[in-house]
Amino acid sequence: MTLDVIHSALISYYRLNEEEARGAEEDLSVWFQRLARRGGAGHMPPKLLRISLLSAACQYGRSFQLWKLGGEQSADNSLNELLAREPDEVAGDLDRRFEGERS
Amino acid sequence: MTGRVLPFRGRPLSSEAGIRAAERVLSTPIDERVSKAKALHLEDPETLLALCGLIRERMSASPASAKLEAEFLYRFIESPRREIGLFDERDYFLGETALLTGMACRCLSEREEAWIWFDRAEAGFRHTMNAPAEMSRLSYQRLAERLEERQFDLVLELLPSLVESFQKLGMPEDALKCRFLEGLAMFERDDPSAAIRVFNAIRDEADAMGSQTLLADAYVNLVHAHGMLGEAEAAIEASRRAIPILRELDNRISLAKVHWGLATLLREEGRIAEAVDSYRSAQEDFDAIGMRADIAALNLVVADLLLEEGKSVEALREISEALPVIAELKMAPEGMAALSLVRESVRRQEVNRQALRELHGYFQELQN
Repeated sequence: MTLDVIHSALISYYRLNEEEARGAEEDLSVWFQRLARRGGAGHMPPKLLRISLLSAACQYGRSFQLWKLGGEQSADNSLNELLAREPDEVAGDLDRRFEGERS
Repeated sequence: MTGRVLPFRGRPLSSEAGIRAAERVLSTPIDERVSKAKALHLEDPETLLALCGLIRERMSASPASAKLEAEFLYRFIESPRREIGLFDERDYFLGETALLTGMACRCLSEREEAWIWFDRAEAGFRHTMNAPAEMSRLSYQRLAERLEERQFDLVLELLPSLVESFQKLGMPEDALKCRFLEGLAMFERDDPSAAIRVFNAIRDEADAMGSQTLLADAYVNLVHAHGMLGEAEAAIEASRRAIPILRELDNRISLAKVHWGLATLLREEGRIAEAVDSYRSAQEDFDAIGMRADIAALNLVVADLLLEEGKSVEALREISEALPVIAELKMAPEGMAALSLVRESVRRQEVNRQALRELHGYFQELQN
């Protein structure tokens, strides 16, 4: 379910296209597998891992979209508003959404 | 608005290949590694992750080599600046290698250096995705260092907040580990009975969660505390439980501490010659892993015993062996005051026993 949330965040929030989102997800997957092994095996609890993954996805989506815009504003105001927000804050919203869908 | 994308360059190693690469790195002399960095996959995050794991595992068997290896990695990543892996991985590896170096410095009683490395670890961890967890691990090391510097009030004041952080983060093993600091603070405040209650609670909980490392450390501390009270049966039973686990974990630091604890027991039982032999055995263990401060501390303990036996010449020899090492270490004012008195008494060939006891009390090795 986390993967669905990440995919939809990259596509619907950060407006990456399908190919860009797939590339992002591949990188995130590689990174996440290492994140889970930091500081000794089994060190980080699942909830913390999930929040870190969502945060990384948002940072990726934001950085990538900013790079595509090349310093210009988007014609889409809702995208500009999202890019102005801290990725961790957006990740927090996504996590609450994830928790809501699980319960 | 700012943002950065750290693209992944090339195919990453698998975790198995990372472990193999890490073993190759460790078998390559340090001064050859930078020139062979590409062939050794030294910039690959899988290699670095495996290296951090191996260094962590070897910390209790050989802190001096752990320090050398971790410091090498930190400097390799840091300058010239190398982009490592994805997202926050460069910052994480800077933080982790600095933390490992600081931990090794702590084991080796290189206190000023330990603080510098902990500051470097913070600079790295601050930028990681899971900063609260990494910063809490760092806080534990900082509190452990404060305990070794005998700042017991501060340790006991700050400990509950750290335990709460670990509990909130869902890290129960780390929360339990914090209780060692509580027990050790009680032990150092001459309340071994209270310390035993804490170590027994840790033992039960570590057993329930299946943590062999914490279980063994609980037994090691129980050896010391029961030994201090002259409770032979309990001390020997705790050592009997600790030793097989410590051997399996290759935890040579704690094995040396078991010998120390048993020596304390012999001393409490008035078996002075056997106690001295046992202290010597612990010194040999510490010597093999480069823990010079502990050897010096035991010289002072033995000197105290020799004075008890009326062997002041031999005692002075012990103290003279310890002083250069002690002087090399940076100590807090109360340690320095005791050191000055002992130095003066050596000069006069007449030992001030109270000063000697204060000094070796200051140096009493703290577990964990």
